[in-house]
Amino acid sequence: MKVKADIIRTYKSLHTWVGIISGMALFIAFYAGALTIFKEPITHWATPPIQQPERIDLEKIPSVLGQLVESEPSAARNIQVNLAPEAHHTHQVMWTVEGEKGGDHDVSSLRYFSAHLDKQQTLVTEEVSPAPVAQFIDTLHRVVGLPVDSDPNRWIMGVFAILYVLALVSGLIILLPILVKELFAFRLGRKPKRVWLDAHNVVGVTSLPFHLIMAITAFGFAYHDLIYDAQDKLIHDGQLRQALFSSAPKPNPEQSTDPTTMLSPERLLANAREVAPSFEPYQLQYSGITTPRASVMIWGHEAHAIAPRAPGGFIAINPYSGEVQSTDYLPGQQPGEMVAVSSFFALHFATFGGSPIRWAYFILGLAGAWLFYTGNLLWVENRRRRSKPDGTLFTQRKDVKVMASLTVGICLGSVCGISLMLASSKWLALESQATYAHFQWVYYLMFFAAIAWSFIRGAARSLVELLYLASMLTAAMPLTSLLSILIPSTGLWMHTELDTLMVDSVALMLAVSFIILAKATSQRVYHSQVTDSVWSYRPAIRSV
Amino acid sequence: MTSKPFRADWISKSFAGIVLGFFAAMAICGLFFLLPLQIGRSGEAQLIMWLLGPIWLSILSTCFLFRTGARAWFWLGLTNVVLYALYFLFKSF
Repeated sequence: MKVKADIIRTYKSLHTWVGIISGMALFIAFYAGALTIFKEPITHWATPPIQQPERIDLEKIPSVLGQLVESEPSAARNIQVNLAPEAHHTHQVMWTVEGEKGGDHDVSSLRYFSAHLDKQQTLVTEEVSPAPVAQFIDTLHRVVGLPVDSDPNRWIMGVFAILYVLALVSGLIILLPILVKELFAFRLGRKPKRVWLDAHNVVGVTSLPFHLIMAITAFGFAYHDLIYDAQDKLIHDGQLRQALFSSAPKPNPEQSTDPTTMLSPERLLANAREVAPSFEPYQLQYSGITTPRASVMIWGHEAHAIAPRAPGGFIAINPYSGEVQSTDYLPGQQPGEMVAVSSFFALHFATFGGSPIRWAYFILGLAGAWLFYTGNLLWVENRRRRSKPDGTLFTQRKDVKVMASLTVGICLGSVCGISLMLASSKWLALESQATYAHFQWVYYLMFFAAIAWSFIRGAARSLVELLYLASMLTAAMPLTSLLSILIPSTGLWMHTELDTLMVDSVALMLAVSFIILAKATSQRVYHSQVTDSVWSYRPAIRSV
Repeated sequence: MTSKPFRADWISKSFAGIVLGFFAAMAICGLFFLLPLQIGRSGEAQLIMWLLGPIWLSILSTCFLFRTGARAWFWLGLTNVVLYALYFLFKSF
């Protein structure tokens, strides 16, 4: 395809600029995002075995919830009843209380409580702390490495999403003229720059649909409130709230507001089963049960339909009358326009094709992180000062050295930080209830230490060292699990369900990959004949 | 005008894409909302929220194809005038 040279030149500059500004933030978003696909297994992996008290019979749930909201009125807003707490390493009856500064998506200040009946059938409540480490990895993913998922941080993420779209489109446009001819021309053995460029191009083009989806949905996640506000004024004439809640359950002032008179969960589940026979519920989420707006969302999974949200989908039922309030978010039973809306979520969260799709997304996510990393490598390579034919070495440009160090420090810093958090999560849980703030400290100490290290030692040497460190920290995850089996008295644990064993196995595989990368990089840094580059280190040769 | 050489005009093209692209995308969302579709209002409101991003970002990422910044402002401006004329016309029915 012919594209004018002027246009190619313009889009090349655009690609370079937006790429170099957004590359490292996107690296963190993608590496953390790939792991977030397996947020649930990672949370299970990191959660200590729970001493499950005797389960409350489902038919007793209404009276227990009645007692609960009497003693803890703050719980009435939102109570979760898990149907299989053992399998999910959680508690049967739970509720959360938002911290003072907590925003919509800010989980950093949430407090969790659980309730059960003791032997004398009296209600016991206690504060619990589900392992927050996967939650924090998710936050890093949502806000490109910033500490909390607040509105301003999400707007910053949105700017990166815009730059990311520009990078994708410009990357495609500059490739168009050579797309067919060169896309699969892997020129191995030629100049290393060509190899990296060819690899960058082929990964970029083949995963383009995935990246466009991620960019566009991330933009929506960042700015949905602002867009709704703007459209409320221009399009909905101030009637947006009514539109959004047009199918929400209407309050019923006639009915009881005493939770002890609610229907048994078994009845509610039977009603759900009637509507959706193959829907597999795992949780009942009660809201507003002391108000006329009482509703219970029955959350679950449906193997043969796209899920509207990351944790699956739900059917809303009135807990007093048992009538179905809404199937707008019930997988497989959504009206057409809600399927269209849900597809934006499902395509981002990989909740539309079971395990194969989740693993494909995991690989595409890691490949995406690699794509941004190689983008920075190419930026550095394009600004390299080659030695003269007589062998005289130049010092490399300052900005190039800085960018190389930043790339190594930020990318490997986030990798090491995440691995250190995961490896330390079981040990931290031994001492006390590990909180969200602990993990913020662990992550950012590692992250900034890695950046400092990459500037002290230079990009070349620090890359080798940080890759070895990443390997060790990642290997520490399965090693901790192994230790718990060899020496049970440590108090450590290893869950042996398939999904938690996969966490250990994937960590082991990543640890091995990091070693292979470290060995290859070490070869390049210390033993390559090509010394006129920031990726070479020769203590003996003084550069001019 | 056609013989004018290509100019990068980064700032002027970017702002054309950001500002005029946004308003054009809003108008397209508005027109979509006015289509006589037999679908739930809640879903339709959510759908046009999601549509804004793809439309706006398509305009923003392709507006550097214009030969000059002035042309970008002219054509996107004209597009806006047409879209809003249509939008308010249909809305008044």
